Amino acid sequence: MLSDRGRRAVLLGLDDYGAALVLLCLVAYGALRVPNFLSEMNLSAILYQYSIIGLLALGQLLVVLTAGIDLSQGSLLALTSITTALVMVRHGPVLGALAGLALPTSVGVLSGLLVSRLRMPPFLVTLGTMGIARGMAMQIANAHPVPIHNEAFIAFGSGTLFHVPVSTFIWIAACVALHFFLTRRPFGRHVYAVGSSEESSRLSGVKVSSVKLTVYVISALLSAVGGVIWTSRLGSGSPVGGQNYELESIAAVVVGGASLFGGKGRVDGIVAGVLIFGVINSVLNLSGISPFWQGMIKGAVVLLAVALTQIRSRPDARAAEGGVAHA
Amino acid sequence: MAEKAPLLELRNVCKAFSGVEVLHDVSFDLHAGEVHCVVGENGAGKSTLIKIISGAYSADSGRTLYFGEEAHHADPRWVLSRGISTIYQEIDLVPALSVAENICLGKEPRTRSGNVDRPAMKRLASRVLDEIGVSLDLAAPAGTLTVAHQQMVAIARALSVNSRVLLLDEPTAVFTATEVEVLFRIVRRLKGQGLGIIYISHHLEEIFQIGDRITVMRDGRVTRTGAAEDFDRTSLVRAMVGRDIDFSRKAEGGTAGEEMLRVEKLTRRRVFEDVSFSLRRGEVLGVAGLVGSGRTELARAIFGVDRFDEGALYVRGIERRFRSPRHALREGLGMLPENRKEEGLVQSRPVLENAAYSSVQLEARFGFVPWGRIRRAVRGVIGHVGVRCASTNMNVRALSGGNQQKVVIAKWLAARSDILILDEPTRGVDVGAREEIYALMRAFKADGKAILMISSDLPELLTQADRILVMAKGHIVGEMPREQASEEAVLGLALEAGRGDRRAQ
Amino acid sequence: MLELPLPRRFWQERTVDTQRTFTTFLVMLLLMALAAALSRGVFLRPTNLLNLVFQNAILGVVSFGQLLVILSAGIDLSVGSVLGLSTVLLMIFQFVGLPAALLVTIAIPALIGAVNGYFVAQRRLPAFVVTLAMMLFVYSLAQVVSGGAGIYSGLNGAPLSPLLVSFNRRGVLGVPLPAVVWLLALAGVAFYLRLRIGHFVFAVGGNERAAALSGAPVITVRFLAYLLASVLASIGGVLAVARVGEGHPAAGQTYLLDSIAAVTIGGASLSGGEGTIIGTLMGVLILGTLNNILNLLNVSPMMQPAVKGIVILLAVYLNGRREQR
Repeated sequence: MLSDRGRRAVLLGLDDYGAALVLLCLVAYGALRVPNFLSEMNLSAILYQYSIIGLLALGQLLVVLTAGIDLSQGSLLALTSITTALVMVRHGPVLGALAGLALPTSVGVLSGLLVSRLRMPPFLVTLGTMGIARGMAMQIANAHPVPIHNEAFIAFGSGTLFHVPVSTFIWIAACVALHFFLTRRPFGRHVYAVGSSEESSRLSGVKVSSVKLTVYVISALLSAVGGVIWTSRLGSGSPVGGQNYELESIAAVVVGGASLFGGKGRVDGIVAGVLIFGVINSVLNLSGISPFWQGMIKGAVVLLAVALTQIRSRPDARAAEGGVAHA
Repeated sequence: MAEKAPLLELRNVCKAFSGVEVLHDVSFDLHAGEVHCVVGENGAGKSTLIKIISGAYSADSGRTLYFGEEAHHADPRWVLSRGISTIYQEIDLVPALSVAENICLGKEPRTRSGNVDRPAMKRLASRVLDEIGVSLDLAAPAGTLTVAHQQMVAIARALSVNSRVLLLDEPTAVFTATEVEVLFRIVRRLKGQGLGIIYISHHLEEIFQIGDRITVMRDGRVTRTGAAEDFDRTSLVRAMVGRDIDFSRKAEGGTAGEEMLRVEKLTRRRVFEDVSFSLRRGEVLGVAGLVGSGRTELARAIFGVDRFDEGALYVRGIERRFRSPRHALREGLGMLPENRKEEGLVQSRPVLENAAYSSVQLEARFGFVPWGRIRRAVRGVIGHVGVRCASTNMNVRALSGGNQQKVVIAKWLAARSDILILDEPTRGVDVGAREEIYALMRAFKADGKAILMISSDLPELLTQADRILVMAKGHIVGEMPREQASEEAVLGLALEAGRGDRRAQ
Repeated sequence: MLELPLPRRFWQERTVDTQRTFTTFLVMLLLMALAAALSRGVFLRPTNLLNLVFQNAILGVVSFGQLLVILSAGIDLSVGSVLGLSTVLLMIFQFVGLPAALLVTIAIPALIGAVNGYFVAQRRLPAFVVTLAMMLFVYSLAQVVSGGAGIYSGLNGAPLSPLLVSFNRRGVLGVPLPAVVWLLALAGVAFYLRLRIGHFVFAVGGNERAAALSGAPVITVRFLAYLLASVLASIGGVLAVARVGEGHPAAGQTYLLDSIAAVTIGGASLSGGEGTIIGTLMGVLILGTLNNILNLLNVSPMMQPAVKGIVILLAVYLNGRREQR
C-alpha cells in the first residue's frame, strides 16, 4: 500500500495533528447532531470551564517534556486560593494575588530542586509536595473558606470581553507565550533536548539541572494563575478545591499528543487535548446524557490516545532495529 | 609531513579496572592532517583508549597531552573544549530536535532579544555540512535520519565547535558501500583542512584506503605503529595476533556424540543469512567473528528471543521454533547473554534467587515450587561453580564481574540445561575466574552437554573449542577443527568478508 | 546517614530488601515509642493497638495490591476508583443475598484488573496512562450505577446483610474481623509470592529482559499483578461497606495516594524489583501511627497531608541514598 516513507509521513503527521483532527471530528459531530452546540453561549461556556485546566495542562506539558510529572498542581491551586483570599482581606487584591502566586511557586521551586539536584523521582517528589501544599492550604485557614468582598476581583474571573471569558484570554496568552518559549527560546529548545536525550544534552553543555528546575517552577506558577482565576470565580478562597485537577491536566496532555517519556509534545496539541475534553463534556450535557458518563468517555479517549501513540512509534522502532547487528 | 608538535599524545599510559589491566604502557600520538587508524581484536583495548582520549576515563599512570597541555582528570567537557570530538557508535544526538538544532545544541546563535536566531542557525549548519560535502534536510528531526546521516550530523557538530581532532569509533559498522564512500570523502576533506583523525575499525580494506598511519593493539599493548605503506594484510593480521598460545591449557578433545542441535539455512533478513551447522553432545563449538557478524543475533534467534525468517532449527532431531526463551528452556537450552549485567541478572535481587530462576520455572508444578529442594540444589551448584560471596543472600550487584558471570552459569547448571549457548563467557572476567569457567566447561562436556561458545577471544577459541565456525557479515565464512585452526587463519577469515559484501543500498 | 546498629559486614550479607525492611522497622518502632511517650503508655495498650490495626485494615489490604503492581515496575492508579465501585456493587446486589453479592463485588473488579493487565502486559502500554484512564472510567461507571450519590440499601430496598452490619463488632479470638481480613490478605499475598508466578514478580520488575531470558513468563506475571491489585481493592471495598454501611463511588479516594505512600515508605522502589510485604505492612502502620501522634500532639488534622508528604519525601530520599551504596 503506502511505501515505508509514505507511511512514516502519515504517522508523523498524525503525531503532530492527530489531536486537532479528533477535535475537528468532535466539533463536526456536535455541530451536526447536537442542538445549540455552536451557539455562542455554549462555546463560551466550554472555554470558560476549561481555561483553568488549560493553564494547568500547559504547565504539565512543560514538566512532561522533561520526562517528569507534576502531581501537585491541584493542591497548589488550592494553596493559591486560600493565600490570595487571606492576604486580600488586609492588603487588597493586588498583594493578595501576588502572595497567592508567590507561595505556590516556592513550593514549585522545592519540587524542582528535589528533582534536579537530588535526582529524586518526579512522581514521588510531586506526590510529597502535593501533600505539603494541601496541608498548608488547609492549615492556614483551618479548612474554612475565606469569603472575598472585592468586587473587581470577583468580576475578573467570570468576566467576558467581547463575549469571550477573560480567563480564556489569559489562557490564550499563556499558550502563545509558552509556544514562543518552546520554539524560539534556546532554553525552550533545551527542554525538548533534556527530555529526549539527557546525556547528549549534558555533553553539549545544556544546563540540565536548570532546565528541570525551571519547568517545575513554571508549572507551579501556571497552577497558581489558575488558582487566582478559580478563586475569583468562587468568590472565596477555598483550601479544598482543585482535587484531581492534576489528573485532568495529565489526561489532556496525553490526549494532546505528548509522551510521558519526554521529548515529545506541542502547545497546539495540548490546546486540542484540553478542548477535546471540553467538547465531550458539552456534547454530553447538551444531549441530555448524565454527566456521570463523562468519566467513561474520558477514560476511553485517554486509552485510545495512548494506544495510537504506540502504533505511531512502532514503525520507527522497527526501522532502527533493522540493520543494526550486534557482535 | 613536517614534524610539527602532535595534536594529541599519550605517553606510557596504563589503565586497570578492578585489578584487571586493560591498557599497559600505551603510547600514541596524532598529527595534524593525518588519519591514524587503530586496529585490534575485540578486547584489545581500543575502546578504553578512546575513552581515555575523550576524557571519559582518566589514565592510572602515564601522561595524556592535548595540544601540549596535560590532562589531569577525566572530564569530557574539558576535552571537548580543547577541540577533540568523539563520534561514538551510539550516536548521541537529541532525536526530537532538528538537524540544525542538534548541530548548534548548547551554543545556539541568538538574536539581540535572546531568541534563537533561526536563519543564523541554518546558515551555520549549512556551512558546516557543506564543509563536509553533505546536504541534509536541516529541519528534519534527528531521530528520523539513518544511522549514517546521524553520524554525519555528529561530525558536523564537531566541526561547528571548531574541533581539530575527530575520533571515529567503528564509524562504518552499519553503513552501505555508498555511505562508506561518503564518509571517506568527508574524512579526506577534513584531513586536507588540517584536522587530525583517529579512525578505529576492523575493516582492513577501509584502513588501507583511508589510513596514513596504523597502530596495532593487542591485549592492552601497542604491538606496532607505522606508516600504512609499511603494512600489508598479512603483516597486519600477524601484528594483531601472533601471540604464543599456551597450548597446555587446551581442553581435551571430546568424543562428540549424538547431534543435539542442528541449524539449517537459518536466515533473518539483514542480520544473518543461510547459517547451517550442527552441534553434538560433548562438544564445544566455537563461533568467531567481529562486531557486526551477527553471532549474537543468531544465538538469540535459536534461543527464542528474536525470530528468524527462513530456515529451520532442530533440537534433538525435532524441528522447533521457540516463541520465547521459556519454550527453549523447556527443551533444555540455556543462554548466557553477552551483556550479563543487563540481560543475565536482576541486579537488585539476591544471588540465590538469581541462580534459581530457571530451575523455578522448570520445576514448579501447578504453580507450586519445591523451595527446599531447589534451594539446596542451587546452593550446591553455586558452591560447585565457585561463586565468591559472603552469603548467597547478597544482592548480585555487590559481586565482581567474574562472580556475576558464574552466577549466570550456575543458573543454567542448576536448570540442568544440556545445550548451552555462551556469548562471550569470559569477557571482563579476571584470569583466575576465567580458568574456573573453563574448568566448568570441561565438566559440562564430560557430562555430555553441548556448548555453543561465541567468543572474540582467539586464544580462548583455540584452546577451548573443538571446532570453530567463523562468521562475518551474517554469513558463515569458514569452519575448521581445532587442529587446523590458528589465530591468523580465524582472524583472516573473519576480516575477509569485508570486501564487496556490504549490504546494497 | 542512618548508621545501623550492627556491623557493616552483617548488612553486606543481607539483601537490600532486608536492610530496608529493617530500617522501616526501626522507624516504626521509633514512631510507636514516640506515640507511647506522648500518650503516657496509652498507645501501647492492646485495645489501642488493635484499634490501630482495625483502622488501617482497608488501606492495608489495598496497599498489598499496589505493592504487587509496583514490584512489577508498574503502578495502579485505579485502585481507589475500583474500591469505590465495589462498595456500590456490594450495596446494590444485597438483594440477591450476601454470597452472590460478594461474588459480583469481586468478579467485576477482577475483570477491570484483567483489562488493566491486558493493556499493560500484553500491549505494553505505559501503566500510568492505562490505569489513569481506567480510574476515570471506573469512577464514572460507579457514578452511573449508583446514581451519583451514596447508597444505603440494595435494589428493591434490600437492607445491608446483618453480617456486614455487625462485621466490625465481631472478632476472632478478640481480634476484630477487619484485622483478620487484613491478616488473611497478608497470608494470601505472601503465599502468592512463593508460587512460581508470584515469585517472578521481583525479577520481572527488577530487570524484565533478564527475567525473560531466564524463562520467566513475563506477560502472565504482569497481568496477574494488576488482576490481584483490583481484587484486593475490591476486598477493601467490602471492608469499607462494613465500616460505614454505605456504598459510594468516592469511597476509595484517599486510598490511592495513601497506598502508594505506604508502599514507598515500606521500602519498595517505584522502578520495580525491590520491596517486601512486611515493609508495606509497616508502611501502613507507620502512616497510622503518625496520625495517632498528630492527634496526640493536637496537631490539626488539616496538617495530615503535609506530614504525609514530608514523610514520603524523606522515605524516597533515604531509599535513594541506600541504593547508591
